[in-house]
Amino acid sequence: MQVAWKRVIDFAYRIQSDEWLTVLRIGLAIQVLLYCLFMRSDWNYLLAGTGRGLISRDLSEAALSGESSLIPRLGWLAKIGSHFGMSEALILDAAWLCLLCAACFLVVGLFSRTAAILTWFFHLCAVKSGGLLAYGMDNFTTIGLFYLMVSPLPDRCSVDYKFRNVGLKNPQLQGPFRRVLQVHLCIIYFFGGLAKCAGPDWWNGNSLWRALTQTPFNIISPEILVKWKNLFPVVGISVWLIEIGYPFFIWSKRTRLAWLICVLLMHIGIGLFMGMYLFASIMIVLNLAAFCPDLIRLRPGRLRRSEMVRGEGVLSA
Amino acid sequence: MHFKSAYLAGVIFHLLLVLTVSCRDTFVAFSQAHTIFPSNLDSSWREAESLTTAVLGQDLPKSNPLRQGLSAYLNAAGIEAGYGFFAPHVPGTYKLVYELHYHDGRIEYETPSVKTVSAGLHLVSLLDFIGKVEDDVVREGMIKLLVYATWRKHHDMSMVRVIFGTVDFPTAKEFERGRRESYQVLYAYDVTLEPKAVPIHQP
Repeated sequence: MQVAWKRVIDFAYRIQSDEWLTVLRIGLAIQVLLYCLFMRSDWNYLLAGTGRGLISRDLSEAALSGESSLIPRLGWLAKIGSHFGMSEALILDAAWLCLLCAACFLVVGLFSRTAAILTWFFHLCAVKSGGLLAYGMDNFTTIGLFYLMVSPLPDRCSVDYKFRNVGLKNPQLQGPFRRVLQVHLCIIYFFGGLAKCAGPDWWNGNSLWRALTQTPFNIISPEILVKWKNLFPVVGISVWLIEIGYPFFIWSKRTRLAWLICVLLMHIGIGLFMGMYLFASIMIVLNLAAFCPDLIRLRPGRLRRSEMVRGEGVLSA
Repeated sequence: MHFKSAYLAGVIFHLLLVLTVSCRDTFVAFSQAHTIFPSNLDSSWREAESLTTAVLGQDLPKSNPLRQGLSAYLNAAGIEAGYGFFAPHVPGTYKLVYELHYHDGRIEYETPSVKTVSAGLHLVSLLDFIGKVEDDVVREGMIKLLVYATWRKHHDMSMVRVIFGTVDFPTAKEFERGRRESYQVLYAYDVTLEPKAVPIHQP
């Protein structure tokens, strides 16, 4: 038992560079910036309270309270703002601006930890208050931001490290935080693939056809798609094979690159052919952060001990 | 060594939650949809779902601090839902159409709209949610809220007939044979500003 536990610890705490954290930080920051910009014109309309928007934010928040009263939401901010005589529209605008600013700080790595926490908080408030409107992209962004917030920030490419002399954290801490993202992605793809594999329509191509032809994912005309109908069963089966195979082939150095390319191509396809650009980009960011830095062979001495211990960073384990 | 074990215990706990939620949602999908598995397994999927639901504390009273805390953590980490997107089947699309009746007798048709493609995907999620609501009162209430958003843009209306339905798209073979998408009405309501909505059609 002790030997097994030691193996788990060795696996989790293997010293590695913080490049994955750089990819995650910059990737998520850009993702949130795009989310803010794409949503700007509909932000207030989608998140306003009863009688002022598309559907009541209060309804989503009431359902949220049924789950737990501790989940962050825009209603908290609206309540605080109302004490100071601020209108709901102003609060929503301020929340959008705070999210945008926090993401800007995050992208350059200035006050990395605070920026990560604020980005997570404001994004979570928006997603949960618009709970009835949320889809997969929102969940994956929350997952990424949560991991970023608790990760050993800052990284070597951040302004904090380069110009504010904030030291790096213990490099061994990079291990478990990156491992949890890697294992989480394996769970995501395995269960996604398993559920698809169980549906007969994913074997005969019907599901793929339906996914590509129904509104609002019908970017390509069905008249064009139908010419490729014989490919649908092959692509449909490939999709769930890639997903189910992810946890088995992504860990081996021999198959990692091939599998990563397959998954990235799948997400690029989802983005281009179904118009789910933000969904595609968040999945690409998470995959690149989790597995891509391993593919870049580290030069000897790249992980300099002196860099690790600068500032308050410690190496003692 | 102690700090390593403590960190790792937290990581393992987190991943076990992710695994349990994923299992629960997969069991739900298997028990509710037509799958390649024999249908006599449906009761087993439901039992497994109950078990995983209990593990997540969802059987506890809503006010229970453990349930509240666990729910808050799951939502904060973004791990409250599984990952069976478009699975086991790609769900049908829901469509909402407003028939706007004006005081001067004009009739116009409109669908709920947003300005950006990104917000459009959120709107689809909302319609999916409404389509899955089983409680008639809740569904009607949500549709009325959507109607009210339209009413604010068209003040001179006397009544709005709301038609909520599914869009049935043909398979590739049916499409080749000339069949095109069809609209199946699920619910229809006449909504006026003063009184409550009157259901005029139910399947």
